[in-house]
Amino acid sequence: MLNYQRGFYLYSMKTLLLTLFSILLVKVSSAQSDLLSFDEHNKYIYYQVVDMTGITADTLHARGLNFLKTNYAKMKVKPAGLNGLNGQGKFLVYGGLSILKHEKGQIDYVLNVEFKDQKYRFWFTDFTFTPYERDRYNNYVPKQGGSVPLETAQDKFDKKDATGYIDETGAFCKQFADSFKQYLLHVPVSTPKKEEITKKVVTDKW
Amino acid sequence: MKKRLLLLSLSAATFITYKAQAAVTLPTDTGKTAAAPAAPAAPAAPAPAPDAPLVFSGSVDTYYKYDFSGHSNIPTSFASDQNSISIGMIDLGLKKTVGNASFVGELSFGPRNDQSIPTAGYHIQNLYVNYNLTSKFSLTMGYMSTFIGYEVISPASNFNYSTSYLFTNGPFQNAGFKATYAFSDKVSLMAGIFNDYWNTFKSAARVNTFGAQLTVTPVKNWTAYINFISGPSNGTEIDLTTAYQITDAFKLGLNAADFSASNGFTGGFAGVALYPQLAVSKVVTLGLRGEYFKDKAGTYGAPVAQGGAGLVAGPLPGDDVTGITFTANIKAGPLTLIPEIRFDNTSKSDIFTNSSNVATSSASQFVLAAVYAF
Repeated sequence: MLNYQRGFYLYSMKTLLLTLFSILLVKVSSAQSDLLSFDEHNKYIYYQVVDMTGITADTLHARGLNFLKTNYAKMKVKPAGLNGLNGQGKFLVYGGLSILKHEKGQIDYVLNVEFKDQKYRFWFTDFTFTPYERDRYNNYVPKQGGSVPLETAQDKFDKKDATGYIDETGAFCKQFADSFKQYLLHVPVSTPKKEEITKKVVTDKW
Repeated sequence: MKKRLLLLSLSAATFITYKAQAAVTLPTDTGKTAAAPAAPAAPAAPAPAPDAPLVFSGSVDTYYKYDFSGHSNIPTSFASDQNSISIGMIDLGLKKTVGNASFVGELSFGPRNDQSIPTAGYHIQNLYVNYNLTSKFSLTMGYMSTFIGYEVISPASNFNYSTSYLFTNGPFQNAGFKATYAFSDKVSLMAGIFNDYWNTFKSAARVNTFGAQLTVTPVKNWTAYINFISGPSNGTEIDLTTAYQITDAFKLGLNAADFSASNGFTGGFAGVALYPQLAVSKVVTLGLRGEYFKDKAGTYGAPVAQGGAGLVAGPLPGDDVTGITFTANIKAGPLTLIPEIRFDNTSKSDIFTNSSNVATSSASQFVLAAVYAF
């Protein structure tokens, strides 16, 4: 009887541990994918509404534009509506481990930002993955005709690779979100340049 | 038992967490990367653009070839060993970009290296530096793969494993200095001055070959390169290389070229090759190369024994050859298996030999190659 109870106890413990382990595994592996959601058109979207207490829409707009021009210089930014911005940009994704890596492709995206008094919202959407291929000069360049919406990347590429691209997209959006928020909170539109003062040393008297 | 299970779970969780973190390295924007979060009290200064990582890439290739005559017949480059499991080369490329400056160094070792570079022991396929004066204008100097033609030396960048007559007889590399200007997203022009001879690490005496490439993208997924190279030592070649991804599954490539010899030789070669390719699944693409190649009458392609230069790999002067190659690319991650069957036929002269070593006008071969690219 005792042996039976001990056996049952051990079996329950094993099941519990395995369940916990499985939950942990799923949680960790889907951590970055969770950053992206699907919108009403079943397209990947990264969406945030952020409160900015005490800051007017005009100030947020000016700071936001400055942020994009400064930090995302290659993004094509244009006004959208009364107090909004629309940008088109891209970033590179890398494959391989440590130094053994090269560009696997680029992800194009559309960024929309809208400002109101004391808050703003933004969303990334229209993600497109373009694989890179090696050219004759040992450069990696976009593969002609290879672009696919990120939503269908798993149909065309290795599932593991496609999941990696989605993860990197989530990480990119999160990095943008964090930097953007910090910038809008703290940075004046025109940051005065701080002059570096070089200390002078007199060498003829010592 | 419990302790073991717990330890195992902990180790596995740690490993998976590490892998997940390693896989999600922050991506680099093609513009500047976003600034790191600023300290709450201090204004955030824009972060400088991070340099791209050192890019490391390459490939290895191995193959088996069987010519149905029982001996090697088709004179185009590479895949030359008959009834043998042979190696191609190991190719190792490095690239680094800092600001507007970049370099590329590509080393290779193996029979394919020895058959594609001018000096044994150098092992260099590409070695050049590049500087972007503006986003549209760049300067490049060094030893570079040629800008002429459709096919290339690296097996990872070709669809077919065996090569065309146009590839084999055209330049492989050109050492020189070139400038490239992009007029728009659809048109760019490269012009440069190159060493006197093709395929040399250093000039014989002069840097007097002129080369140019006009790149046009008429519509999305269609790019055409009009290439020109001319010099008193090697001659003049005009080349059209184009590829159009017509649908998601179907791509059509074309290469046409005309070469006229110089330096006291007459003749040259001309040809055209079509490359239709159809992706039948996520991992399998079927393709065909149909090539027509003519050795122009003259001394450039005539055998040395007859007073010629013997510089055309293919039919005799005045003759032509038609080659049809059926190729499949079967992908398994970074590995590509390439089964291929090829039929070549000349119209006049018998340049091949059959299984009885009797001269004949046709040759056929089977190749199975494996290329791993990383």
